Amino acid sequence: MGIGVCYGGYNLRLGTLHNPDSGFMLFWAGIIMFGLSLGVLIRAMREKAIPGELKKVLWAEIRWKKIVSVLIALFLYATSFTFLGFILGTFLLLTFLFKAVEPQSWTKAVLGAIISTLAAYGIFQLWLGSQLPKGFLGI
Amino acid sequence: MDLLSYLGIGFSVALQPENLLYCFIGVFIGTLVGVLPGIGPVGAMSLLLPATFKATPEAAIIMLAGIYYGAMYGGSTTSILVNIPGEAASVVTCLDGYQMARQGRAGPALGISAFGSFIGGTLSILGLMLLAPPLSKFALRFGPPEYFTLIVLGLTILIYVAHGSMPKALIMATFGIILGLVGLDSINARPRFTFDKMELIDGVGLIPVVMGLFGISEVLLNIEQVIQKDIFKTRIKGLLPTAKDWKDSSGPIARGSLLGFFLGILPGGGAVISSFISYGLEKRLSKHPERFGKGAIEGVAGPETANNAATGGGFIPLMTLGIPPNVVMAMLLGAFMIHGVTPGPLMMKENPGLFWGVITSMYIGNGMLLVLNLPLIGMWVQVLKIPYKILFPLILLFCLIGVYSVNNAVFDIYIMLIFGIMGYLMKKFEYEGAPMVLAFVLGPMMEDNLRKSLIMSQGDLTIFFTRPLAAAPLIVALFLLISPLIPWMGKKRQEIPKEEIS
Repeated sequence: MGIGVCYGGYNLRLGTLHNPDSGFMLFWAGIIMFGLSLGVLIRAMREKAIPGELKKVLWAEIRWKKIVSVLIALFLYATSFTFLGFILGTFLLLTFLFKAVEPQSWTKAVLGAIISTLAAYGIFQLWLGSQLPKGFLGI
Repeated sequence: MDLLSYLGIGFSVALQPENLLYCFIGVFIGTLVGVLPGIGPVGAMSLLLPATFKATPEAAIIMLAGIYYGAMYGGSTTSILVNIPGEAASVVTCLDGYQMARQGRAGPALGISAFGSFIGGTLSILGLMLLAPPLSKFALRFGPPEYFTLIVLGLTILIYVAHGSMPKALIMATFGIILGLVGLDSINARPRFTFDKMELIDGVGLIPVVMGLFGISEVLLNIEQVIQKDIFKTRIKGLLPTAKDWKDSSGPIARGSLLGFFLGILPGGGAVISSFISYGLEKRLSKHPERFGKGAIEGVAGPETANNAATGGGFIPLMTLGIPPNVVMAMLLGAFMIHGVTPGPLMMKENPGLFWGVITSMYIGNGMLLVLNLPLIGMWVQVLKIPYKILFPLILLFCLIGVYSVNNAVFDIYIMLIFGIMGYLMKKFEYEGAPMVLAFVLGPMMEDNLRKSLIMSQGDLTIFFTRPLAAAPLIVALFLLISPLIPWMGKKRQEIPKEEIS
């Protein structure tokens, strides 16, 4: 990334010390970033790693599927936000989130999603006047 | 005009019904986010920033400031009762606060932390009131070289006090500067790293970045493991500390107030660091340091006072110089700008109502917090019992709508999610978010002042050394940057995180 920023900065024109141009600061920031990253990389390579230790420390006992499923749901929500509209999209997202991470009954999940969606709609759309998308249903 | 007249202006603004309401909402939400683990004051402030768009600048800043100091109050409740800090500045309160609760002294622990917070918060406002006017006048002498070196110093201190690796913190700060420069060049309007995206013309938004780094990533970290909240089952009685408690706590409260206030002023300082240093100081000064970690009331009183005192101190560089010393103040700077106010040396003159209104509202807010945190402690204990499986979808929902409603742009949601994943990985690999966010905010200011300085001096870099006010911060910054290479200094720096862990 440091090299990319340097290149981008150079293309934007560096200017001179008398009159620095748009790429001046970016160019030097890129060089510093590249140098530091190289330093951190070399240091990490010099350290004697115990096989499997890093994996154990960072990723042991992690509920991977939960994190990935939540992230996918959030990206899908963003992608379909304008099309589905706030009410339908939020209801579907919340039902999934209430149900996905810790198991609870469908009734609780759906009821929780309905109440939360309507409350959020009331606060943001009706009270604060945010322009939330209506979606294909027009609500 | 003298101080009393300014106070009169301030109270006439702060006591307006609308401002009182916003102040109450701010401290209430602040306490709530302080109590709830998983969302801190920065996340809450960015969430609620869109809610202030319709409000006056005074009401908006009063509310956002209230969230900050309110969170400092609320954070102690979870530390004492659950042994989980509600926010980072209350981490150290767990050590003795939870032990006091286990010994049946949850009441005095909560009581002294509320009173200490009130005293520290109030004294720091007094300090802010006395120091801000002369500093504002002094800051009028500052030109671009002085601003540039001050920003360099601010970022350097933040990097210096960052936990763990200094090169990693430097990388994050550099990345923050680069990110801050995305968008149109302020001097010649040339687009930089916009990749032909209209959404990037104005740069990357502060709110999506902050919400991603501090909101989404925190939720991801919390859901990766099953959180067991073990609320200490005891009747909370006797919130008023005894005479002996007061005797033991008076010194720590006094020292915590001074320490927190002055550390709050320093760039990179703030609530978290002052609470840790206060704990270390009290332990060192105590005749019985062995009591610390086993329920010493001094270990609660000192840090809780210091973290509140730091909030007042943090306003000084922001309101007098326009330079935020920490991430929370960077958020407030963003809020000031959105409401068309530029904080800095002229703010006191141009916007006296806002300047003094915000300061005096903090007196009122601290009073409200005392009421919220003592008689209503039972309510916050109930809030603590809300399971995370219900809480996290709501936090995510508020992040999503909050980010969207700033510009009505789905693009901002994507930015937030990307920074959420990045923040999650950063925490895993021990890269800190704070240097990045502060550098992100200060980056454009830094570039602007650097370019103006070089144009002024016709490319002569000695301008940063020949002007005393510019040279002093730069020399300190250079010293801090090379200090890890000096054996005894490097050792001192490494001792900080070790002490925190122990």
